[in-house]
Amino acid sequence: MFALRGIAVSLSCFVLLYCLLSALVATAWRPLKPLHVAQQSVAAILFALRTLPLIASVVITFALVVPSFRLLEPRSIKGGMAMPVALGVCALLLIAYSCFRVVTAQTRTTRLVTRWLEGARPLKASTDSTVTFHSRPGTPPITLVGVRNPRVLVSETTVALLSDDELHIALKHELEHMKSRDNLKKLIFCFCPFPGMAKLESAWSQAAELAADDAAVSNQGDAVDLAAALVKLSRLVPVEAAPVCSMGFVADSLSQRVARLLAWDEASKSRRVRIRAWFVVPFAIAASLLVSIAYSPVLALTHEVTEWLVR
Amino acid sequence: MMKASSIFGLRPRLGPFEQLVLEKLWAYGSATVRELLADGAIHQAYTTVSTTLDRLYKKGLLERVAEGKAFRYTPRHTPEELQRVTTLDSIRQLLESGVPSSLPLSHLVEAISIHDAQLLDELQLLVERKCCELRDQKKIREKS
Repeated sequence: MFALRGIAVSLSCFVLLYCLLSALVATAWRPLKPLHVAQQSVAAILFALRTLPLIASVVITFALVVPSFRLLEPRSIKGGMAMPVALGVCALLLIAYSCFRVVTAQTRTTRLVTRWLEGARPLKASTDSTVTFHSRPGTPPITLVGVRNPRVLVSETTVALLSDDELHIALKHELEHMKSRDNLKKLIFCFCPFPGMAKLESAWSQAAELAADDAAVSNQGDAVDLAAALVKLSRLVPVEAAPVCSMGFVADSLSQRVARLLAWDEASKSRRVRIRAWFVVPFAIAASLLVSIAYSPVLALTHEVTEWLVR
Repeated sequence: MMKASSIFGLRPRLGPFEQLVLEKLWAYGSATVRELLADGAIHQAYTTVSTTLDRLYKKGLLERVAEGKAFRYTPRHTPEELQRVTTLDSIRQLLESGVPSSLPLSHLVEAISIHDAQLLDELQLLVERKCCELRDQKKIREKS
């Protein structure tokens, strides 16, 4: 009974925290345009913001709620189960729905990619063996598909339409998405559903495209080739919608991307600040120290909050 | 001039007679009820034409100025502008409907791509200009 009660309370806290943080992120986030940071960093910040509710609620539940319940909850208390059980069921439903979304996205992607890969051959223009081209009409011009085994699919029309340099830089753009594991990130978004997150996801998607452009381009010639490829491929109309676990070459904000590429110069690229992962380390260490020093009072406070929840 | 009947998304909004009157107005530029009737292509009573013009005015498709006891009507949009407005409106309605199927979205992409042809032409021109610029710079560097 004690264990069941503990599970119900933990799940309740998880779902409440998740909903609260998600609502906060959905309403409080703002586009990061005014910040003078590299697009890779913008994409990373937006991804962190999008996944913050899930990660924070899991961490708080396991680091505070579960230990506070185990250490401070008297084992003999009975009753007051209705609210935690109801919220626990909600949490289980949320987890089940998230899993369903992930499985559906993966299944649809796999099904579509299998169809697109029918009769596909390795692309000679690319040195990377993961790149193939497909001939099925109505497929996207260039797209990165899959999570575990990502592949770049290129249509025959694209090969015919683009010059060697344009094709090379377009492939490089997609390979940058592969390096950043953008399809996995999209799948993670499926795992943290919450209404009102579409704009944040769209901003991330746009930043990820710009980041892949920036990473692929190393000189003005590359930038112009990529812009030319973008414009040419935008004229090709895909008949089918792209699956969730894919990053298309031609996405939204075409004008913005082309304008950025045409105005590309080495100086502006180096001026933009890139926020590295290790920037977070001092904050993480400070937070860990703070929590370890004040762990007992924090546990007591957490227990009081959960007590209020049980009543 | 583009026929009103061919305008994407316009059919559900305008009746056949409204479309005919709007086409005539596009052809004239501006007209009063009497001028439209004098053309001979509209075989309806004065009040019918007047009511139709009033309805088009209330739908925001026409502008009017008083001319004696009557009104002179002018189309607010060119056929191309109206096409753009109605297309965007249709797309907005489709997006707001929250259709879960991927099929309408793919049609939406198709519609957007078709109607952005002008933008793509402009972007292509910019890219070509930049290409020429780079080529010229390269030549100058090689010479020097």
